[in-house]
Amino acid sequence: MTIHDDIDSYLAADLYYELSEQEERALHTHLIECAACRKIHQESKIMNKVLEEKFAREKPDPAFEQRMLAGFRNRIPQRTASTTKLIVGFMRLRSAQIAAVATLLLVLVQVGRMITGEGASAPRNRQYAAEERVAAQPSVPFSTEAGALGKSAGIAQETDKLATDNPILGGRLATPSVPAQTESKDEKKPTTGQMEAYAVDTYRSNDIAPAALANRKLVRNAQVEIEIANFDEAEQKITAFANEERGYVATTSSEKQANGKLKGEIVVKVLPENLDRFLQKMRGLGELKNQTLGTEDVTKAYFDTDARLKNARVMEQRLIDMLKTKTGKVSDLLQVEKELGRVREGIEKMQGELKYWDSQVQFATVTISLAEKDLEEPASFLVKERAQLALYAPDVEKVYNDIKGLASQKVQITNAQLDRDYSGRVSGRVGMLIAPEESDAVMVRVKGFGRVENFQGQTERIAQGGSGMSENARTKRDKVELNVTISREEQEQAFQQTTLQIRASSVDEKAKQLHALAEKQNGRVRSSSFSRDPNGREFASISLRVAMKNYPALMQSLNSLGKVENVSVQRQDRAGTQIDEANAPTDISIQIYSQGNIVSSETGLMATLRHTLAQGATALMWSLRMIGVALAFLAPWAIAILAIIWIAKRIAQARRKL
Amino acid sequence: MMDANEREVYRAAIRGDRDAFEMIIRTHSRTLFAIAYGILQNREEAEDAVQDVLIKAWKSRWRVRDPEKFPAWLCMIARHRARDVFRKHRTTPLSDEITEQIESEAIDTTSLNRQLHSALAALPEVHRSALMLRYFEEMDYQTIENTLGLTNGALRGILGRALAAMRKQLRPALASFEQP
Repeated sequence: MTIHDDIDSYLAADLYYELSEQEERALHTHLIECAACRKIHQESKIMNKVLEEKFAREKPDPAFEQRMLAGFRNRIPQRTASTTKLIVGFMRLRSAQIAAVATLLLVLVQVGRMITGEGASAPRNRQYAAEERVAAQPSVPFSTEAGALGKSAGIAQETDKLATDNPILGGRLATPSVPAQTESKDEKKPTTGQMEAYAVDTYRSNDIAPAALANRKLVRNAQVEIEIANFDEAEQKITAFANEERGYVATTSSEKQANGKLKGEIVVKVLPENLDRFLQKMRGLGELKNQTLGTEDVTKAYFDTDARLKNARVMEQRLIDMLKTKTGKVSDLLQVEKELGRVREGIEKMQGELKYWDSQVQFATVTISLAEKDLEEPASFLVKERAQLALYAPDVEKVYNDIKGLASQKVQITNAQLDRDYSGRVSGRVGMLIAPEESDAVMVRVKGFGRVENFQGQTERIAQGGSGMSENARTKRDKVELNVTISREEQEQAFQQTTLQIRASSVDEKAKQLHALAEKQNGRVRSSSFSRDPNGREFASISLRVAMKNYPALMQSLNSLGKVENVSVQRQDRAGTQIDEANAPTDISIQIYSQGNIVSSETGLMATLRHTLAQGATALMWSLRMIGVALAFLAPWAIAILAIIWIAKRIAQARRKL
Repeated sequence: MMDANEREVYRAAIRGDRDAFEMIIRTHSRTLFAIAYGILQNREEAEDAVQDVLIKAWKSRWRVRDPEKFPAWLCMIARHRARDVFRKHRTTPLSDEITEQIESEAIDTTSLNRQLHSALAALPEVHRSALMLRYFEEMDYQTIENTLGLTNGALRGILGRALAAMRKQLRPALASFEQP
């Protein structure tokens, strides 16, 4: 583009001193050459001058900025800004940021706890409390030294309490408190636990009781349960052992069981110091089933009674003295006499008690329960047989009476029942007990009365006088229990069911032929029906029952009636039952039908029109449903997106208002 | 290019530094006035518009991501605001008082002045803005380019065409002006 073409912008730039030196030179050269441009240049200069003058007047005055600032300060007050600035400035501090984050985390954790309902704070506080309580007693060291023990007894209690409160802390603190406790108890009297431990020790070492136990009144008892081979032999051995250990057999009892086995109890008294050795020997008798060893410390009760006895004796003596002096009134003397009697009674009672204890303490009591091996073995077995028989017969009543006729000495009818319902169906039930030797023969006879549908036999062996197995026990056969149910053949379920269709031209005639065929094969027609539909088709349904042996022949003969179609055979195999297959009934359902009119009424213009309209309506309904489905899919999304847009707009508005 | 110091001032203003923003008011309100005047052709209205623009800029300063674009953004708001005012005032009927004022002014002003007004009004908006920045602020080309977001070539063309258009409109009046 030449300068001449672009003269306007060149001139403007020239006026505003925005041309480069080169451009300026080029412009001036052009202005010398071109008169038109020179004129425009002239005009532009005047124009510029006019504009400069004009805008100089319109320029804002020098206070303009001040006015703008004042307006701004008026409309945006400084105060709010400074507060925000203060907060913002504060938040810029690193420490403030860290504190804020920590606070936020704490708040989150607390909120989480509140939501999950986790009560973690309570036990922790208790632990702190426990530690504080312990720390409050710093002067008392937890040591096992003897000097500290007395002092620490109180602390031990305290720590025990803490231990129950707090298992963690308790585990640590409870340890030093144990020696203090045991020592204080030792001084009073040994605990049962320790006594038992002691007894075990003596049992192992077979030592004589040490001096510490010498003044003690200990009653020792033992219960032993032993299974032995022979009771008498064991009894003799026990007597011998008792003599060896300077004891004696106190009581013996025995009992004979139905299976000839013996069981019994022997009570032996031995010297306490020999008890353990005696028990050791007992083990050699047979299999030790159970043993308990008990020690009862009667020391305190014994010496209490002893002291009371001594007091009572002194009292007795004084009362006797009073009687001897014989001063005072008669009534007083009587009173003294009475009192003396009471005191003497007490003395005797206490003496008896002491004697009893002495005897108990002097000898240990060993109660030995003996039982011969296989004590539970049965004495004999009883074999019980039970049989269920289901019969089908054409004449139920006759069979029922025949079975009842079997009754004799060895065949007892326990119950017999003949039912006839409103539809004329008859069924019978006979229950009988048969002597074992006759049972097989009778059963065969009963089975011969009809067709056996079902037979179940059951044998049970009942142990008598014990349980389990025995090689020696006798076996006895009990009476055989037989239950027979008799039903009419009609009620029997067919062994096999066949359905088929025969297409034939004249249905009526063929049905008659079928009846004849069935007659020939000993079949019975159970039902038959005939129908004709509006299209002129004829149907005859006939159901037959024949014996299985005649079935193939009948099926063969059906081919003569017409075209046999759709044959289906269903057979019910009953597992586990013996079936007389040849005579089992089989059902055959036959439908004979004719073709009828071929032409359908669903032809012609009206039918076609109807079809078309129906299909159109179906298609319309289908598309409507699809639109509904599509709406159901899209509507939630559309609503969600609109909601998000709305919220975003609201947020933007709110921020703009800030 | 904007120097680092200037950019820092804009950044501080965007972050909410009031002092920085007041500094910008001092330096830029005349530019904004020029732009508003270019559209409105009325000093009072232009001044009010600038005031509104400053308030609006302070409130929505967070919208500016790049500090370098802050001046251009200010000019844009000014243009929009002025245009809004212009549209509102021209559609509502003028009240009697103002009409009288305008009439009295019209009597006072010379015919050249009136012609100048109408010639300016006939110019496209960008042309007017560029002229105003040039004559009010005596800005050089580069500053005008930065302020209005134009290239050098475009600005040269714009100013050239603006002057030419004015010249053609005012030619008879200028001729009489030349005579004396």
